[in-house]
Amino acid sequence: MDIAVKLQGITKRFDAFTANDRIDLSVRRGEIHAIIGENGAGKTTLMNVLFGLLQPDEGTISVNGKPLVVTSPAVAIAEGLGMVHQHFKLVPSLTVADNIFLGMEIRKRGLIDRKAQIEQARTLSRKFGLNVDPAERVAGLSVGIEQRIEILKVLARNARIIILDEPTAVLTPQESRDLFATLRSFVEDGMTVIFISHHLEEVMAVSDTITVLRDGRVVATRGKSELSKRELVRMMVGRDVSFDRRPRSPGSGRAVLSVSDLWARDDRRLPALKAVNLSVSAGEIVGIAGVAGNGQTELAEVLSGLRPASHGSALLHGKELLEHSPAEIRARGLAHVPGDRLARGVDGNATLSANMLMGRQRKQPYSRRGLIDWRAVDRETKALMQRFDIRARGPRDLASSLSGGNIQKVVLAREFTAGGDFLLIDQPTRGVDIGAQEAIHSEIMRQRADDKAILLISTQLDELAALADRILVMFEGRIMGEIDGAAMDEESIGLMMAGIDPVAAAEV
Amino acid sequence: MIASLLPRNLRRTLAGQLLALAIALALGAVVILMIDENPLRVFATLMRGAFGDSEKIAGTLLQTTPILICGVAACIGLRGGMFNVGIEGQLFLGGFAAAWVGFSFALPPVLHVLVAVAAAVAAGAAWVSVPAYFRVRFGANEVVSTILANYVAVLLTSYFTIFLFKRPGGWSETPPILPSAYLPELFSFSRLNIGLLIGLALAVATALFFRFTTTGYAVTMVGSAPKFAEYGGINVRRAGFGVLLASGAVGGLAGGVETLGVHHRFMEGFAPGFGFDGLIAALLANGSPIGTIFTALFFGALRAGSLLLEVDTTASREIITVIQALIILAVSADLLLRRKGDRTGGRRWKF
Amino acid sequence: MEILATFFNVGLVVATIRTTTPILLVALGGSFTTKAGIFNIGLEGQMLIAAFFAVIGSIWTGSSFGGMLIGVAAALAFALVYAVLVVSFRANEVVVGLALNILAGGMTISLMKAIFGTRGSVVGRGIVGLPKVQLPGARDILGPSYAQLISGYTPLVYVAFLSVPLLVLFYARTRLGLYLRVVGEKPEAAETLGISIARVRYIASLLCGLFAGLAGAHMSLGYITMFTENMSSGRGFMAVAILIFSAGDPLKVLLGCLLFGFADAFSLRLQILNFPSYLILAVPYAVALLALFALSWRTRPKLIRETLETMRNALAGKPQDSGGKLPSDNRP
Repeated sequence: MDIAVKLQGITKRFDAFTANDRIDLSVRRGEIHAIIGENGAGKTTLMNVLFGLLQPDEGTISVNGKPLVVTSPAVAIAEGLGMVHQHFKLVPSLTVADNIFLGMEIRKRGLIDRKAQIEQARTLSRKFGLNVDPAERVAGLSVGIEQRIEILKVLARNARIIILDEPTAVLTPQESRDLFATLRSFVEDGMTVIFISHHLEEVMAVSDTITVLRDGRVVATRGKSELSKRELVRMMVGRDVSFDRRPRSPGSGRAVLSVSDLWARDDRRLPALKAVNLSVSAGEIVGIAGVAGNGQTELAEVLSGLRPASHGSALLHGKELLEHSPAEIRARGLAHVPGDRLARGVDGNATLSANMLMGRQRKQPYSRRGLIDWRAVDRETKALMQRFDIRARGPRDLASSLSGGNIQKVVLAREFTAGGDFLLIDQPTRGVDIGAQEAIHSEIMRQRADDKAILLISTQLDELAALADRILVMFEGRIMGEIDGAAMDEESIGLMMAGIDPVAAAEV
Repeated sequence: MIASLLPRNLRRTLAGQLLALAIALALGAVVILMIDENPLRVFATLMRGAFGDSEKIAGTLLQTTPILICGVAACIGLRGGMFNVGIEGQLFLGGFAAAWVGFSFALPPVLHVLVAVAAAVAAGAAWVSVPAYFRVRFGANEVVSTILANYVAVLLTSYFTIFLFKRPGGWSETPPILPSAYLPELFSFSRLNIGLLIGLALAVATALFFRFTTTGYAVTMVGSAPKFAEYGGINVRRAGFGVLLASGAVGGLAGGVETLGVHHRFMEGFAPGFGFDGLIAALLANGSPIGTIFTALFFGALRAGSLLLEVDTTASREIITVIQALIILAVSADLLLRRKGDRTGGRRWKF
Repeated sequence: MEILATFFNVGLVVATIRTTTPILLVALGGSFTTKAGIFNIGLEGQMLIAAFFAVIGSIWTGSSFGGMLIGVAAALAFALVYAVLVVSFRANEVVVGLALNILAGGMTISLMKAIFGTRGSVVGRGIVGLPKVQLPGARDILGPSYAQLISGYTPLVYVAFLSVPLLVLFYARTRLGLYLRVVGEKPEAAETLGISIARVRYIASLLCGLFAGLAGAHMSLGYITMFTENMSSGRGFMAVAILIFSAGDPLKVLLGCLLFGFADAFSLRLQILNFPSYLILAVPYAVALLALFALSWRTRPKLIRETLETMRNALAGKPQDSGGKLPSDNRP
């Protein structure tokens, strides 16, 4: 058996936290080896160790049978390793060719030889069937193309072992399929692919061998045929979980939010929302599905007053909310759980009390005549910590000292108790561990039972399937179609997420 | 209550500042050796000049006053995430405005002082309002714009003084202000005046404001997490504008106090460097108004001591500027105080 | 008409070129740090310390070139301290820059007192100014009155203006220039490709120190051979203002610097009309402020224009072409 990569006893600690605990891993040459696990299971850390971005505290690495101390990515690259990171590392103002050859420029008389770079990039892209225009600037290219460039970057460095970290997170199902075909062709050429994912379906679809990580340890390494999805889930989370649909009773049906013909621009001034129509009633959860970056963030920002709309209307309780400030919209009943919780949802350098106070600092009993009563704030914070099961020592802890799940609970606690009856919830469980996820889902369902109107934005289809009454699919700023939450099927949602017309999708 | 006004990680902060101070003083000693003086003698002279007798102590407090008020001005800006480097200019304009009211109008004693101080405050706020507007509306960098405005302010007040309001027969100074506009002095043997008390009260009031008022809370949030504040319904632009305006107003007040309390006239180059000293004092205190009382006192002592330095040694009094700069450099490098908001792109005003 | 002729003539152009030189040199220096993603407010201090040590050096070595070298060395020392604190210790760049400016001010005055026993300024005492370069043939080709347009400047004038195209080439076609841009624009890209961000930023800071040093040497050894307290008088800050709205692009830096050089040269001529000197001295700062404000304001109409365009495309049902449609200048 020809082993391409062998890791033995790899341990990596960050202060008290052990990200990788005595990990053994063997990857055969010519296979697609998936490493699967929950967020925080240690997948990315392990790959960063292999690629030389992190140094292990213990353990050995050998590549192609040769023991190796990978002190930097340069060492890894020299041994034929290449890594495509989850977050692309392309320079927007440079051309595709410049990006591919960055760090190994082709030079003539000391100057960079643009022409030769473009020529070689073209040859490379033809050879591997990754279609890009090397002379184009990277700024404004789609994520799918950006990923191709990242892969070409790796190939240009003669990589024979390619690591991909969560490559499909930003792709539509169809783009993912193309990627898998490319990866297949790589292994047929004798290359080796290590593929990191937390997504069951695609791991089952594409890989030959699967290694499951949990809490920094290897749970098992098996051939794909030896595993069922159910087993895989149990190994990942350590117990059976169901994201089955939550039981529900009908809501009151009173219209709370109605949006019509809404247009808005993104930060690059390009249209991000195009003619969006939607409505949310009391006691209803309306889900917004879509690949991240298709206008969901902008929709949330427009509805919460953080981004101007360029056209259209959005009525909250029959009154226009566009052109009003975030404070005014909140006063009319909006509560908002932002997608980017570390930047928007909390101030990490402030105490939990100061975080809880946000938005209610002018209300009694928290303040009186402009003076804050910190004891009342602390008291209320303590009560909320209890009710929402926020694990911290006390209300004077800094928010940044909490785990991701607990920070999210702080945000939920503040927003769900602010008295609003329209809840705008963006990515409530991203980066949150399974236990907290369930608690958050239950809390959202409780809010629904309280007859609140809920707009739930999520990129996780299982989350939407569990919670939403209706699901709207967004693609490039448009609502592609609507699906009954109880009758959701992943294939037609996938097509809509890829921008294929719902009518056509229905016929497929 | 006072304890709650101090920075949370006080001990670590203090340990860090003291270590930095030691490094800076050591470097300062090297610089003093470079100019062929004995560091111990220079330090001893500085101490004697600052605390030698009650007159000297009063002199130190006299120097502390404008540094403290300017320091509070800087703290206000830093709290709201704004780097007001233009305090120097606001000080000059405030000083001139107070003097102008002082010599141009005859008003009853207390009222005269109040009107003159109000003019100083208004002048300082007005001077920062343009950079502040462009900062919050269009994102024009306030560090550069307020620095450049300093040069214009100094030249403008010089122009007023020499071309428009020159005291007949005098050198580059305005006519003296009327005694009705004098700030009351605290002791018979010094020009030390109630400006010091104003400064102390202002520092405490500012600290209380940030800790216990809803507006103070809002401004603090805008300074430390602007996106969070915006999301929470705080008008970030208005807060930023208000912070700069308040900071400028206090800078103007510093000038007014200096004119009405010490010089009793405006003259060219009347208070050089107080604005920058105040900013440094505030930075050294990590943006805490209470801490600034102590750092301002320290810098005031250095300044007062430096006057004797010129008499007793060959060193120039600017050597204390060198020491101040070295302290800030040492503090900025201090590993005990990590700078915050590095990767998130938040504004970094702490070290 | 006559009065216009006394204002706008060959002499004004020559004066503009002269006054542009120091600010162009220091701004080009700042372009390295700006491109590498460092907001360097410490240019002023580097320039000042170089001006002082250039004077010391020229007295000491008896040559203007030696003076220049020592001035540059002093600026490099400041640049190194800046880089150590900002890059290695990750200190706040504004705080460090301001502190170094204050340090330069205090140090030059203290050293002046210690070495020369005077305050205010140092004149004479064997300071050797930079030579004037007479280009052979300039007189024959352009005639006596126009020859001064290209001939008779100090070497640093030529260095400054020739550096502009060289820097354009540097950023576009050399490896180091490319790395500077990458480190400023997308540091994580550099990191994964094995480009050391710290090293590139050190190099940028030192290159900046080199140019700021030349600027300082030109100030004290160029057209006036003396050192005065705080003689850089805010030119370093004006350079920072230029860097903000040029984003470090050499051609835009040149344009901005010419504007200030012209404002400087022109305001000196206003003195003929008996304008109060204090107001005249304020002109360059006011121009810098106005430019800073105007250019921050200017982004607005452009924004609206682009928006209308994209809206029109979208409404016309054109597919949103992803390639190359970004506004070329989407930096603030």
